Amino acid sequence: MTLVIGVGNPDRGDDGVGPAVAARVAALGLSGVRVAPTVDPARLIDAWDGESDVVVVDAVRVGLGDGPRVVSLRVDEQPLPGWAACGGTHAFSVASAIELSRALGRLPEHLVVVGVAGCDFSTGHGLSSDVRGRMDAAIESVRAAVHGAHPTQGGPG
Amino acid sequence: MTHKLTGDGRVLSVDTLARVEGEGAMHVQVHGGEVTDVQLQIFEPPRFFEAFLRGRAYTEPPDITARICGICPVAYQMSACNAIEQACGVVVPEEIRQLRRLLYCGEWIESHALHVYLLHAPDFLGYPGVVEMARDYRELVEQGLRLKKAGNQLLELIGGRAIHPVNVKIGGFYRLPTPAELRDFRPVLEQALADSIATVQAVAGFETPDFEQPYTYLSLRREDGYPLESGSVVTSTGLAFPVERFDEHVAEQHVEHSNALHAWLRGSGPYVVGPLARYSLNHDVLTDVAKEAAAAAGLGDTCRNPFRSIVVRAVELVEACQVALQVVDSWRGAPAAAVPVEPRAGVGYGGTEAPRGLLIHRYRLAEDGTIEDAVIIPPTSQNQPSIEADLRGFVQDRLDLPDDELTRQCEQAIRNYDPCISCATHFLDLHVDRA
Repeated sequence: MTLVIGVGNPDRGDDGVGPAVAARVAALGLSGVRVAPTVDPARLIDAWDGESDVVVVDAVRVGLGDGPRVVSLRVDEQPLPGWAACGGTHAFSVASAIELSRALGRLPEHLVVVGVAGCDFSTGHGLSSDVRGRMDAAIESVRAAVHGAHPTQGGPG
Repeated sequence: MTHKLTGDGRVLSVDTLARVEGEGAMHVQVHGGEVTDVQLQIFEPPRFFEAFLRGRAYTEPPDITARICGICPVAYQMSACNAIEQACGVVVPEEIRQLRRLLYCGEWIESHALHVYLLHAPDFLGYPGVVEMARDYRELVEQGLRLKKAGNQLLELIGGRAIHPVNVKIGGFYRLPTPAELRDFRPVLEQALADSIATVQAVAGFETPDFEQPYTYLSLRREDGYPLESGSVVTSTGLAFPVERFDEHVAEQHVEHSNALHAWLRGSGPYVVGPLARYSLNHDVLTDVAKEAAAAAGLGDTCRNPFRSIVVRAVELVEACQVALQVVDSWRGAPAAAVPVEPRAGVGYGGTEAPRGLLIHRYRLAEDGTIEDAVIIPPTSQNQPSIEADLRGFVQDRLDLPDDELTRQCEQAIRNYDPCISCATHFLDLHVDRA
């Protein structure tokens, strides 16, 4: 069983891409997949506690440069790279949740972060057209991670 | 980042102030060895939610305003309910009030545990963050996560889900928990109470700077218990007034450097809301177990050192756990999950104690319940002038510190307020300009 967690606030523009992708994945009805949305990265530690296979989908605010607009990173063995600092408006980030879980020995055995480059995080805005155009690629990245095609850590292209 | 200016001047800036909920900017100007200006710069997006509420139905604010903040959605829901119910002339039954109190306890437990353990404790123990702290203080961090989880579970039990609870409506709830459901949750709360008491003991030993401040405090007060879901307003200057007279006593004014409005007590000036204010104005109505924890931690009748706010927050963790246990033990259900609330033309105010302090909602309704005007005054915007005043005094006494250390201590001073800038704004950077 793989847990897919979409992180982000649907009222903060492209920050909502995580829950949006998670909702699309839920609608696919993939066997062996459970889906959960969350606004607050601080709740990730509880959400993935006891889970062995987890995929987190979140907006990436900066750092992709001219590289890919959707990245898939396996982070159970090494940290989320700095350039992939995820979007989100709160102090406790996805990277914080990953590293605190790692320090406490509570990290899932397989943990993949699918990051989607966002550009507009304004309050009250929906997903930008650019990010809507990246949804299919993000869903494919989730499917690949669910099916065990675990990516390796890498930098922006 | 440090820049050298011409002559002996310099600019010190930190592009991202860590461990604060949200983002913003702080600018400190120093000339001739004197701090001449301190500005908490708030680049608030258009007050989107206030505008969004206009024209919506009177039943919608609890769900809409819960989306303002992922950390304190219950506070927004409760203040919205109180305001709309007041506008419609409805007072909810005691059972509903108690259940709201229980739901609010869940939010306090989760929010305070997050701030005490994951955001603030590293300052006192000398770590850049909780990840590094966890390597040396694993059991302490696990204790904090256990507390946070308990709050989360309570939110799910009463609110339907932890993020943006879906069980709250104007007039009450969609569904009531059964007495058995609450009884089954008691062991979680018992553990949380024990963890909270241990939290007070742990943070009471933290070294804090000697930094007593002559604050004016403002909070809600109830004579029958610590304020959470309702109450009237009191201040340390002796004022006492119902929430619906808030505008008569508090003015909001725009300041040039911030898009968030600053709140001032008319005829008095800046004031402080939040744990220090609540404790100082309500310590006499704490539960006995919280009073004992406070006394053991060395807290007296008031606390005017913002660096001791972590101790007061821990005492409020004890209070929230004990109040939750009391509600669980007394819960026998209610005749109905909600009372009818019929719309009418009028204005209603709602005030509740969010984890970070008083949260005010005001709505003006048309006869059919359409919202004609909405005003939301979050705690962080009320505290902004005091945060600036703290920084002014704090930096002045520490100008001899190297930039890195001064910046670190300034960040800690800001974190004393647990500012939720996402409610008031976004983007918080720190700049100290020495010239």
